[in-house]
Amino acid sequence: MNRIVLRRLAQVIPLVLAVIVLNFVLIHLAPGSLFDVMTAEQQISDPAMLDQLRHTYGVDQPTWVQLAKYIWSVMRLDLGFSYRQNAPVLNVIMDQLPATVILMLAATSVALLVGVTAGVLASVRVNTIWDNLISLAAVFFFAAPSFWLGIMMTVLFAVKLGWFPVGGMRTIGAGNGAFADALDVMHHLVLPATALGLFYAATYARVMRASMLEVFRLDFVRTARAKGLSPARVVLAHVMRNALLPIVTLLGLQLGTILGGSVVIEAVFSWPGIGSLLFDSVMSRNFPMVLGVLVLGSLLVAVANATVDLLYLRLDPRIRAR
Amino acid sequence: MSRFSRRDFLITTAGAALASSMAGAALAGLETPKRGGTLIGTWGGFEPQSLFVPPGGGSSPYFTSTKVLERLIRLTVDLKFEPVLAVDIKPSADFKSYTIKLREGVTWHDGNPFTAEDVVFNAMQYWKPISAGVSLDTLESAEAVDPLTVVLKFKAPVPEFFLKSVLAGKSGLVIPKHIYAGSNIITNPINNTPVGTGPFKVKEWVRGSHVEYLRNEKYWNPGLPYLDRLVIRWWRDPASRAAAFEAGQLDIGTFNPIPMPDIGRLTSGGKFIAETKGYANSAWVTTIEFNQRRDIFKQREVRQALLQAIDRQFIADTVFFGRARPSLGAVHSSNAIFFTKDVQDYPFDVKKAGKALDAAGFPVKGGSRFKLSLVSAGWFEENIKIGQYVKQAFEDLDITVDLAVPDRATSLKRIYSDYDYDVAISNNSGSIELIPSTTQYYTTDGIVKGAAFRNATGYSNPKLDEIVAKMTVETDEPKRIALAKDFDRLATIEGPLLPMVDLEPVTIVRSDVRNHSATADFMGESWAELWLDR
Repeated sequence: MNRIVLRRLAQVIPLVLAVIVLNFVLIHLAPGSLFDVMTAEQQISDPAMLDQLRHTYGVDQPTWVQLAKYIWSVMRLDLGFSYRQNAPVLNVIMDQLPATVILMLAATSVALLVGVTAGVLASVRVNTIWDNLISLAAVFFFAAPSFWLGIMMTVLFAVKLGWFPVGGMRTIGAGNGAFADALDVMHHLVLPATALGLFYAATYARVMRASMLEVFRLDFVRTARAKGLSPARVVLAHVMRNALLPIVTLLGLQLGTILGGSVVIEAVFSWPGIGSLLFDSVMSRNFPMVLGVLVLGSLLVAVANATVDLLYLRLDPRIRAR
Repeated sequence: MSRFSRRDFLITTAGAALASSMAGAALAGLETPKRGGTLIGTWGGFEPQSLFVPPGGGSSPYFTSTKVLERLIRLTVDLKFEPVLAVDIKPSADFKSYTIKLREGVTWHDGNPFTAEDVVFNAMQYWKPISAGVSLDTLESAEAVDPLTVVLKFKAPVPEFFLKSVLAGKSGLVIPKHIYAGSNIITNPINNTPVGTGPFKVKEWVRGSHVEYLRNEKYWNPGLPYLDRLVIRWWRDPASRAAAFEAGQLDIGTFNPIPMPDIGRLTSGGKFIAETKGYANSAWVTTIEFNQRRDIFKQREVRQALLQAIDRQFIADTVFFGRARPSLGAVHSSNAIFFTKDVQDYPFDVKKAGKALDAAGFPVKGGSRFKLSLVSAGWFEENIKIGQYVKQAFEDLDITVDLAVPDRATSLKRIYSDYDYDVAISNNSGSIELIPSTTQYYTTDGIVKGAAFRNATGYSNPKLDEIVAKMTVETDEPKRIALAKDFDRLATIEGPLLPMVDLEPVTIVRSDVRNHSATADFMGESWAELWLDR
């Protein structure tokens, strides 16, 4: 087990290096630069001022020097300074990271709960009206654009019924202690987490159903039934546990994308997360910010992968660390 | 529609403008403003990169910084200058120096007094080198005569309206010397929590969500501001802003906050008002420009023919749902001082345009007259549709069009840095004063490679340069207006770049929000006098 963790963590260094170099090159290949965007927004045309800014932003140096400098600073755990936000990259990311993590974890929980339950139900009642309804719902939530779903939920639950706020993460200026604050965030979280969660739930439901049906046909299930175990125990303890492996794989992949957030859901619900930050940074060619998010993202992917490997071990002891 | 036609009166007759403003004043006088309350506002764009961006930074930081930072004077919606931090600004007889008398008893949010030294610092260290740029090229010195008097000296005569426009404009914000002196103004961390003299103090900025301001209890204007608290929140999605209005979680949104088709639905119940006042000093247009580095566009007749092939009314009605009007000339029609109807018009006429191209030596050969690349800047959604429409319009003239709608950064680079286009569709927002925001698109000194929103066509005409040079130093107001009209006439008949449609942005506001839209540039209004009738 320790070996798995160590091996995964050893992969982090080349991964981060590759992420930096690749994205640095990509963003410099894209037409336009942060310098162009900033000076255009600021309407600067004085050549002396342009030169001063070029120097401030460090774009007066050759590209490879900029790259080397960036790698050197990341090695010292410094993600650089974003002139666009006029703040250190790490501070800006840390300002918005908690919101994204909360939203994605909540959405993933909704997805897991709804998806796995629906998948199990559909497989147990295979080819009945239940199965068909669940399949229909899964296709619907998978195919419905999440911005549309988000807006429709806002119109119904926030505008018409007034149960939930229209976006945001906190009631502005509320501040009544940690417990009230947590409740307030949860109140704001319901709609975006559901809108995003139902989209992922659709995939989980489909995968879980297929996986369950496959395990149902195996010999040990027949044995379990022959032993006289109750149907519920057969489904929950024997079939479900064995059918969970593909779900864990999916979950691992999805956890890796957490930092990307969901630009669309964040936009609809004005959730102060990192997805919008990343999007804006790409649009303004703000490479220190883009790279900062991606470097943190690659670390998260490595950690998520190691966790998934450990979960495999727990679920299926036959998979041994080689 | 009658509600929106108010501005038409403003433009056409001075009498109506006077009447409407007097009616407004009378109405405001009848009601006693109420103190207190929280206002939640937004605008039709995204969060700013920083709450205050010293060189400008676009509409979003302008919106957030002007609640905190003030200017010496402001321009009201009926185009009169009103005192803010300065009580009086007087030119000398030769217009080469101006004496500015400052308001007494003004303090910065941190308690330090606001003095003439601050204004001297702003003039020489901030406005001239950073924010105003070429506008204050001739500024020679600023001197504090006493703690409340500053004298600005210029190398050449400066028209009074011009200087006051600069001071009341986007570049005239007054920043504290004691905080900025000796630092790099552009990267000073205080820009994320600006300290000013304004009616509101920054309490907290939650990135990605909102900024919260509290009432400045020591504001120099006693009794103001009326609000206790101001929150500016950002939604990235126009439909979500409409939902927030309907759910009662948003009070005011400037600059087209919600989808155009929703405006009618929201305002029909009487709970919300759509207001078009307050955009004259930042008047947006969608422009078309012809790259003069291409041989075909060196002929004026070709540019004019292409201008004639575009149905501007169609763009206004279909793309902007009627919230735009066909442009006439180079000056926005809401510019009550410099706009003139006496310019070359380009009525939509494909046949005439075709004949003009035939005569100019571009007959249809093998199904096409010539091929051109059309770049439509992708920063506004409307530009995608306009690009597609203009492509079709040119194809009706048997021109082969290669359309590209690149993203923001790429558009800036192709149009303003690389000049990599034949015909470009772009936008700009001009102030009432035409120098430099409008003239720099036509003058030779407007050609600055890599500097955006300037003369990217490479058009150069000594006659036009001369008119603008005269305007720069003409201190007699009527003569200056006549020169501006000469400029407009020449620019329009030459047509290297012309506005196609004048945009008419809308403010959506709850009907219980009072005293909004008092200045000619509402995005930059401090909102001190705004109050809630609840």
